[in-house]
Amino acid sequence: MSNLIEEAGWKFHWRLTESAGIMVYLADYKGRRVLWEGSLPYVTIDHQRDALDPAGDPVEVHGPWWVPLGTRTLSGPVRVQSFRGGVELSASFESGPYHYTQLWRFHDDGRMAPWLTLYGPGVHDQHTYHPHWRFDFDLDGARDDAFERFEDGRWQRVEREGWFPYSGEADEHGTVWRQVDFDSGAAINLRPHMWDDAEVFAIRYHDGEWAPFSPRSAAGSSTFPAAYVGDELLDGDDITLWYVAHVHFDQSFPYTAGPWVKVEGLAR
Amino acid sequence: MASKAQGKSKAAAKTKAKSKTSPKAARDGKAGRGRPQLDITHADASLFDPLTPGEVADALRTLTEDRRLSSMAKVGRYRVICTEPLVIKPSTGPLNWMAGHRLARIVVYDYAADRAVDACVDLDAGVVAHLEISRGQPMLSREEEALAVSVATLDERVRGKLAIGDVPVSTTHYWGRTQNDLSFARRSAAVIFGRSDGHASLVAVVDLLDHVVTQVVPAERW
Repeated sequence: MSNLIEEAGWKFHWRLTESAGIMVYLADYKGRRVLWEGSLPYVTIDHQRDALDPAGDPVEVHGPWWVPLGTRTLSGPVRVQSFRGGVELSASFESGPYHYTQLWRFHDDGRMAPWLTLYGPGVHDQHTYHPHWRFDFDLDGARDDAFERFEDGRWQRVEREGWFPYSGEADEHGTVWRQVDFDSGAAINLRPHMWDDAEVFAIRYHDGEWAPFSPRSAAGSSTFPAAYVGDELLDGDDITLWYVAHVHFDQSFPYTAGPWVKVEGLAR
Repeated sequence: MASKAQGKSKAAAKTKAKSKTSPKAARDGKAGRGRPQLDITHADASLFDPLTPGEVADALRTLTEDRRLSSMAKVGRYRVICTEPLVIKPSTGPLNWMAGHRLARIVVYDYAADRAVDACVDLDAGVVAHLEISRGQPMLSREEEALAVSVATLDERVRGKLAIGDVPVSTTHYWGRTQNDLSFARRSAAVIFGRSDGHASLVAVVDLLDHVVTQVVPAERW
C-alpha cells in the first residue's frame, strides 16, 4: 500500500510510528501546503478514587501511565478508505484493557479530522484519558503566522506562547482557536469536541523540540508539552500547536475525541 | 529533550490571551511581515520513510562511537528505546544545515547514569549532529516491558494474589505522583494482570533500576 494519498483535494503522506500513532506529513490541500507533520505523541491515563472512600485516601493516589500507540500495539492493518466526500486513514491499537482507534479523515471541503476513539474497560471506571495531538501547520510557508483565540466575543491575537483552555466561548462556527497566515490571510481553524474539555498549547517552533518520546520530562518537572512553554513571541513566526483532550471514562463509552480542523482562505 | 533552547523557562506558563489588534492590522504591520519564506513546499518525502535495519544499525553505531557518550558505551548498561527517521524542516534555526539530510533520531536510556539520551544522527555525514542528555524519562523499550513482566510474574506477592487465568495483559510506563512514591524519581513500569476478556485484576509496579516489585495493588483499588 502506498503511503501517498491523493484524494478529495488533499495530497498527503502517512507512516506508522513507534509511539505516536499514524503520523501524517507533507499534507497539501488544493495544491497548497497545510501541514508539515501531525501526530498523536501520547495518550496518558490517570485514575481517581471515590472521594468518599472510607479509607480516607486522596482522590488521586497513583500517578499517570501510558502505552505507546504504534507498531507494538497495532491491532490489525492500517486502513485507507474512501467515504462520501473524502478519504480516511484508521488504525486500531490495543494494550490490555485499553483500546483505541485512531482516525485521520480528510474532507473535500477543507476539513480534516484527527480523531481518537477510546474504548475498553480500563482497570476500573474511575479514570481519565488525556490524548495529546501535535500539529506543525505550515500554511503557505512556515513563518509569518499568528495564533488567535476567540475570547470575550471576538478573535484576539495571542502574542506569546502559552496554554489556552477552551472556556466555552466559540465563534458562530464553533471555532475556538486559529492559526492565521499573514500573507495569504488563510487560516487553520480548530473546533474542539464540546465534551473534550480541550486545551491548546501554542509554542514557537524550535529545532530540537520535536515530539518527545514520552510525556514525562525530569521528575518533579512539568510534563510535555507544558515543559516546552516559555515566554517567546509567536507573531510572525513558525508555530506548533498541541491539542489536548481530557476525557473521563463513564458508561457512555466509546467516545471519540479530537478537534475538527478546517482550512479556509487558500483560494485567495 | 527537556531543555528549552536558549533561556526559556521550563515552568508551565499558563499565559492568558491578550487583546490585540485585528488580523488585518497585524498583517499590515507585524515584525514577521516581509521576511523571506523558507521553502517547505519542496521537501523530500522520502526523508520521512522508515529507517532500514542497516540505517538503524548505522545510527546506533555512530552514537556509541561518539566521544561524548563513551562512558555510556563503555559501561554498557543502556537500552535503546527507539530509532526513527527525523526530518529537519528548513528554518533559520541552528540545525538548518541538516535540512535535506537523511537523519535518524535515536533515544537511549542510560541506566548507569540514570539519564536519557536523545540524539540526532546524520546518516549522510556519519556524525551525531544533535545531542541532548537529560533526566527525562522516555517511554519503555520492548525489552524493558518484557523485563517488567518477568520481574512481576516471579514475585511471590504477585503470584499469591493472581487468580486462575490471570496473565500479564499490558505493561505501561508509570511514574508516581508524589515523592513518597519510589517511582516518582525512578524508572518504573506497571504491569497489569487480568483475563483475556479484558477484566483487570492486579497491578504490579516494577522498579526497573533494581528489578523489584515495589507495589502490588488490586486493580479495583488502583
